[in-house]
Amino acid sequence: MRFTKTKAVLAGLTLAATAACGGNAGSDSGGGADVQVKKDAASAFPAGTRMKELADAGKITIGVKFDQPGLGFKGAADDAPSGFDVEMAKILAASLGIDAKNITWKETISDNREPFLQSGEVDLVLATYSITPERRKVVGQAGPYYLTGQQLLVKKGSAIKSVADIKGKEVCSVTGSTSLDNVEKKGARPRGFDTYSECRDQVLDGTVGAMTTDGSILLGYAAQNPDELEVVGEPFSEERYGVGYNKDRPEMCKWISDELKTSFDDGNWKKAFDATLGKSGAQAPQAPALDPCPTA
Amino acid sequence: MTQSEQESGASATSMTLEPLIVLDGVNKWFGDLHVLRDINLTVGKGEVVVVIGPSGSGKSTLCRAINRLETIDQGSITLDGRALPQEGKALAALRAEVGMVFQSFNLFSHKTILENVTLGPIKVRGRSRVEAEKRGRALLDRVGVAHQADKYPAQLSGGQQQRVAIARALAMEPKAMLFDEPTSALDPEMIKEVLDVMVDLAERGMTMIVVTHEMGFARTAGNRVVFMADGAIVEENTPAQFFTNPESDRAKDFLGKILKH
Amino acid sequence: MQDVFNQFDLVLKAFWLTIQLFLLSGVCSLLLGVLLAGMRVGPVSVLRGAAAVYVTVIRNTPLLMIFIFVFVAAPRLDVNFDFLTKGVIALTIYTSAFVCEAIRSGINSVPLGQAEAARSIGLTFIGSMREVILPQAFRATMPPLASVLIALLKNTSVGAAFGLLEATARMRFFTNNNADDRMLIFLTFAAGYVVLVELLSFGASRLERKWRVAVR
Ligand SMILES: Nc1ncnc2c1ncn2[C@@H]1O[C@H](COP(=O)(O)OP(=O)(O)O)[C@@H](O)[C@H]1O
Ligand SMILES: [Mg+2]
Repeated sequence: MRFTKTKAVLAGLTLAATAACGGNAGSDSGGGADVQVKKDAASAFPAGTRMKELADAGKITIGVKFDQPGLGFKGAADDAPSGFDVEMAKILAASLGIDAKNITWKETISDNREPFLQSGEVDLVLATYSITPERRKVVGQAGPYYLTGQQLLVKKGSAIKSVADIKGKEVCSVTGSTSLDNVEKKGARPRGFDTYSECRDQVLDGTVGAMTTDGSILLGYAAQNPDELEVVGEPFSEERYGVGYNKDRPEMCKWISDELKTSFDDGNWKKAFDATLGKSGAQAPQAPALDPCPTA
Repeated sequence: MTQSEQESGASATSMTLEPLIVLDGVNKWFGDLHVLRDINLTVGKGEVVVVIGPSGSGKSTLCRAINRLETIDQGSITLDGRALPQEGKALAALRAEVGMVFQSFNLFSHKTILENVTLGPIKVRGRSRVEAEKRGRALLDRVGVAHQADKYPAQLSGGQQQRVAIARALAMEPKAMLFDEPTSALDPEMIKEVLDVMVDLAERGMTMIVVTHEMGFARTAGNRVVFMADGAIVEENTPAQFFTNPESDRAKDFLGKILKH
Repeated sequence: MQDVFNQFDLVLKAFWLTIQLFLLSGVCSLLLGVLLAGMRVGPVSVLRGAAAVYVTVIRNTPLLMIFIFVFVAAPRLDVNFDFLTKGVIALTIYTSAFVCEAIRSGINSVPLGQAEAARSIGLTFIGSMREVILPQAFRATMPPLASVLIALLKNTSVGAAFGLLEATARMRFFTNNNADDRMLIFLTFAAGYVVLVELLSFGASRLERKWRVAVR
């Protein structure tokens, strides 16, 4: 019961937030990146490539998070998710000539990103998907398209000012996440929850001292509750968000990398950021350097 | 006193003895069924009262009411001048003063014979284990099952189990003993060993209410026979008088039936 | 997989928390369950009713709801404990209802004559429960009680979503960090649970056999 209540509250907040920032959620015109959907895109790709197949089909399935404000979030009343990951996904789809309304959004959680890619359930994953060597053993990850780092979200005025203060303190995040692993190694007592919002609730009622995960995610929650919550300390890890694709279709890497590069250069990447994460007051950072694609 | 004077003075017996168990105007219903009707019964100290009557006449209910395993709806039951209290510790204590022996023995099946006999003394009377076991073994010896002390009830014959049940009740040093058809569930060859123990008990002066159809026991050990039918006491008399010369038609009818087979 | 064996101390630590959760809430559930069963068969009608309502409500509530209540709702009302205690409370609230019913069915399987004999030697209700009825009821209760406890052992994993770093939570760390080895990691942790459950059922059947020998 509390879940739905929280969701409803979040949905309300998001609605208000999206209204304030021009309501780009799910609308193909987009308040952020005004991306031109490429005409006759199919002809641009060689036969036999996955890109050609997708362009011919005219539709694509993309996995994003539904529970992370600013990155990938879909409230109970929304038709489609919104956020930076979502905007970047639209940019990629547009280059295949696929309009935002022909994108099928699939909710992915941390645990099912690889299985979804491997089974072809989704064509791409843009879901706060940090690039790691272990993941690259089973799936393809192009990018990065965004750099962030692990930080701490605390109640305003908390004794925890930086990562140096978490020793022996209870710090929550999502069960099984790398962030929780990291704070455990730094001497905190890790407390895993199923969702970020439950973890945030534990911070609010004082049960745990801090919430930890990527700064980008924490900013989203701080923006929702600026009177009570704040993000403290310098980032103490480097997370590089990549675009997940099926390893069996390695040709996708170059296409994704090229399109990311284009968006960095033509300002669409910055527009996407400003319309989403940028709303929390954060300045658009430098566009990251892309990893080379694996040579087949 | 001549023989006949003694026999006809049955009711006088209880008068002269100090009363121990007194039922006064006791009534009980199970729903619409009136199982005990205006029961007035006084049992004197050391008296042996045999209760007899057709099945369903309320004999068991009478015993259970005296031990407060059943509540009564009207009237009073006193033990040694004290009324039976409501449920609780006081009742539990009073219950221990009246030993009860059941038709189906009801020995504690998870405890050894010796443990069956020592449980009450230790837990209710607060005796030490050593003391309780010493007395327990003596009682088991008295009822002739001393060598079975470390076995479990299921390993004993029915007659042995019933004698242990008697020892278990005696271990509480009760003021009176209630027997509800103690031999009805036994094979014929085991009945005598149980009755012998009961006769011995009667001879030692124990106050006893015995529901039984064993006429031999009633004649040897009984001071008085109470005949019940349909929840009421129909006739009271000495055993000799009752068996040879019953007054009521119900009793005559009943005796005719049990004597025939 | 390498990762799992390199950090096997973390695996053991996680299973130790699983065992702690199981043992603590197992003991508490048995105590509370016995108390509830006693209330349900006892002479006081208010207690009988209260226990019956408790059992009905709890048995029909998902365990997850109880966890949410203890971990999320109660702290809002300033009822808060450390995480292990909250886990034990949530599991105990839930499991005791099932323990109660298992024991109650055990009590009902004890012949009425045993209770009457116990009362006739002067034992109080509580005394006859403790000395006569429950020891016999536990015997009849052993098989259903064993399944309740096995369920409890596995139910400790719900704590993974509520800040308790027990085996399932630890497994999710490893599976998240080692996407290539998910199946093996999963099987390793599943094997851990299998071992614990097997130990539990072995203990239960030993106890059952021992008791059976004692009566025959
Ligand atoms: N617990 C009970 N509930 C309802 N009726 C009962 C109960 N116990 C006994 N009775 C009824 O009360 C009557 C007297 O029973 P009981 O005292 O056992 O008779 P007896 O021992 O003389 O055979 C019988 O008709 C019996 O069916
Ligand atoms: Mg009877």
